[in-house]
Amino acid sequence: MKKKLNFTKFSIYFDPYLFIAITLLSVMGLVFLYSASQGDINTIAKQSVFVGFGLILMFMMSQPDPDFYNTYSGVFLIFSLILIFATMIFGKEINGAKRWLDLGIFTLQSSEIIKISLPIFLSSYLYNKHLPINLRHTFITLSLIGFTFLLIARQPDLGTGLVVLMAGAYILFLAGLSWRFIGTSFGIFLLSLPFLWNSFLEPFQRQRIQTLFNPNADPYGTGWNITQSKIAIGSGGINGKGFQEGSQAHLDFLPEAETDFIFAVVAEEFGFIGVCILLSIFFFILLRCLYLAFNARDRFCRLTIGGLSLVFASTLFINLSMVAGIIPVVGMPLPFISKGGSSLLSFYLAFGIIISMATHKKLMER
Amino acid sequence: MIELEERNLEKKSFFNRLVLIYFFFGILFSFFIYQTYSLQVSSFSEYTSASLKNKTRDMLVQPARGIIYDRSGNILVNNVPSYSLIIKPWKIESLDSFISSIGKIILLNEKEMNYVNENFKKKAAYNRELTVKSNLTSEEIAKFEVRSYKYPNAFIDVRYSRQSKYPDLFSHAIGYVGGVSNDQLSDILSEQKLKQIETLYKYSNGYLIGKTGIEYTYDNLLRGSFGKKTYEVDAAGRFLRELKYEPPVVGGNLFTTLDLEAQKIALEQMNKRRGAVVAVEIETGSIVTYLSSPSFSVNDIAGGMSTMDFNALSKDTDKPFFDRAGQGRYSPASTIKPLIGLFGLQEKIINCDFTIDEPGFFILPEDQRDNRGWKKGGHGTITLNDALIQSSNTFFFSLAYESNIDKLINYLSEFGFGKNPCLDCFNSDKGLLPSPEWKMNNLNFGWFKGDTVNLGVGQGYLTATPLQLSYYSAFLANKGSQKKLSFIKGDNSESSGLNNSAITDSDWDKIHESMIGVIENPKGTARRLKSLKSYIIAAKSGTVELVSTDTKEDYQIVRENKGNRDHAIIIAFGPMPNPKYAVSVVIENGESGGSVAGPVAIEVLNSLLNK
Repeated sequence: MKKKLNFTKFSIYFDPYLFIAITLLSVMGLVFLYSASQGDINTIAKQSVFVGFGLILMFMMSQPDPDFYNTYSGVFLIFSLILIFATMIFGKEINGAKRWLDLGIFTLQSSEIIKISLPIFLSSYLYNKHLPINLRHTFITLSLIGFTFLLIARQPDLGTGLVVLMAGAYILFLAGLSWRFIGTSFGIFLLSLPFLWNSFLEPFQRQRIQTLFNPNADPYGTGWNITQSKIAIGSGGINGKGFQEGSQAHLDFLPEAETDFIFAVVAEEFGFIGVCILLSIFFFILLRCLYLAFNARDRFCRLTIGGLSLVFASTLFINLSMVAGIIPVVGMPLPFISKGGSSLLSFYLAFGIIISMATHKKLMER
Repeated sequence: MIELEERNLEKKSFFNRLVLIYFFFGILFSFFIYQTYSLQVSSFSEYTSASLKNKTRDMLVQPARGIIYDRSGNILVNNVPSYSLIIKPWKIESLDSFISSIGKIILLNEKEMNYVNENFKKKAAYNRELTVKSNLTSEEIAKFEVRSYKYPNAFIDVRYSRQSKYPDLFSHAIGYVGGVSNDQLSDILSEQKLKQIETLYKYSNGYLIGKTGIEYTYDNLLRGSFGKKTYEVDAAGRFLRELKYEPPVVGGNLFTTLDLEAQKIALEQMNKRRGAVVAVEIETGSIVTYLSSPSFSVNDIAGGMSTMDFNALSKDTDKPFFDRAGQGRYSPASTIKPLIGLFGLQEKIINCDFTIDEPGFFILPEDQRDNRGWKKGGHGTITLNDALIQSSNTFFFSLAYESNIDKLINYLSEFGFGKNPCLDCFNSDKGLLPSPEWKMNNLNFGWFKGDTVNLGVGQGYLTATPLQLSYYSAFLANKGSQKKLSFIKGDNSESSGLNNSAITDSDWDKIHESMIGVIENPKGTARRLKSLKSYIIAAKSGTVELVSTDTKEDYQIVRENKGNRDHAIIIAFGPMPNPKYAVSVVIENGESGGSVAGPVAIEVLNSLLNK
């Protein structure tokens, strides 16, 4: 259900379902973070500013017509790439990874921006191409995706890199990539897996994958995160231990409780019931996006809504699967819940654009 | 621009593909819900206990050991509190400035400084207390207490040490406590179904276990059981707060049968000479005196003796650590004679009126070797009574010569030789009761008649500990039966006696008469003891030959070397005719059983009987 509110002179573009759901998630996120940060007021204050700013940003991003995004998608992409290069040169190094750009007000993780601008650019590049997408366009698209992926993976930030890779792939797939091409490249991918394992992955990344299959081999070393996260989730039970009662989080057993592993805190303190409530909100947002994509006004809008919502879904599932020990540990926040400005803002940005795509109608349709 | 038809086709393809991806995510989502469900609902209890185990840390609380008393209720071993300076390292930012500040009040020596420096960081990391100095003087305590406001992270608290009130007196009987090896500790803890974890110590020197003596044999009783404190900890292992406290169970107190006064007399009488004194209450088999001399201070050992002092003690040629009372092997020498006489009566080889002509030596018919008595020219015509009073060797040589060795060995065994006579003595030795088989196996020689003859005067292969001799003494006093010996009064000990004894009560009386004669008769070998007491004591003295000599002149040469001098030995019991206590005394190289070992035995009996 799209809504267009008519005020005296100008229109406001707004989707109440997404807006309410996202606001609800953001507020719940603040509550969870309060517990995960052991009641640290500074963290909450900072996060609240991001949430408030993010909601405004989301609203503002909904206002321009999709044509604006279509026209300037190249500019956005180039701007994002410049940020990435700037990070490579001026970036702040933390724990051996150079992912952050100090902007004075806050530190920006530049890869978070390109995971929005790349799918928009690809949508705008592919929306008027014939079906199925021919090899030339496929290769141009793939080269751009591959190039961006390598840039991010080198930081190194495999998690975000994978999301960018997936974002590009979603657009290409949704735009009508030929099944033959998909089949062929999947075969090649399978064949090159051993090569990727040996030459592409860093030793610590390989270790994480091995740990997944056998976390008990070294529960106090590489298996610590998964072991403690599973204990936190499992000990939550159906009803949870209660707000701020989670011993795993509060006694520091759970690593990265405020960021990547915040879901474990939710599971520990609010139990299976809390998990189900949280997941149903996420689920609702995704279904709403599906609905909006179906009803979008043109191919560009469809592709963009589809692509961005799948970026959101991928981030969500990578995080959840990691926390539950289904996939290896990768740095991936839980959207709207985890602490951290860049990722938070990027999703407000993405949903602002989604709402814009969904609410603006072609003149002739009005 | 693409055509309308293619646009519809594109739209359809887009929807299909988007739904396909959503479907894929749907599967993932279901799998994730399933995983969460199985963690939170199916494996809930497993993960709950894992989470509990994560956040709690148990600490054992050491129990105090039981107190050891003598039979009159005097405390022999106690837990003595001493004041220790204890700090909370995790709250102290700079150790150096703390030390230099506290050092003005309580001086730390180098050893203590090193200990603090070595352990400070580790204890700080885990929020554990650290004992800086033990055994504070009252002056140090007073100085600290008035300034205690300056040291919020330090306090003075009581820690115990195991102390004997009479450190030299019961060194071998009660023994000492000491640290414990990891394996031993695991065993002790597993008896209480505990694992080896950090412990809050009651004693300033940590885990204690009985190492020797009663402290060892009654360790289970004295030890008590560990208590447990459960703390909440964070991931770094820091203590946050106490959750639960199960106090330890204090070890049981032990009321021994030892007699403090008699033990004091024994130590005084032995006067650091090498030897042993064991006295027992005949009726109960209670050990009342158990002394090995020279002794050592158990408190020095338990208090952590310096290596130098320890080496000096262990290299001492007098071997103070050696428990002569329970482990020293000595030939019984002439003290065996009453038994040989009884054997003669039992086997009807002799009767009480039987006499022999005693020339002062005995020639073994087999090899014509002569075996000499101690009195040149012999004792004339003598009976068993005379032979015991005067300790005639020839009489018993002849008697042993007529004896069946297997029966004699069996008879010796019935008197406790070659057996452990004690229920609860620490590492008590069985001595050696020889036999033809033993000789063949160990010395590769057959049993000679001469060996039997030697046995008749308690020389040769037969050896016994002073503990066994005291049992033998009590066995004689009790006319052929005796309860097993013990340091505590228990009803469980059965008395064992002679099998198929043919010895009549009047025979026993005659043997007792002879042993009384050893002291009371003017010819008795221990007649000098007569004036030392006010009641009748039966005794038999002995002199253990270390070097075989044929004449007194030869012995004069041998005794130039003090280590070759004969051991003095005596068994005694009294008061007659109803003996209450039996005693044995051995004094190494003391030369005369009657006049050297005798007075020690008499004084100990005096102390026991004058109560």
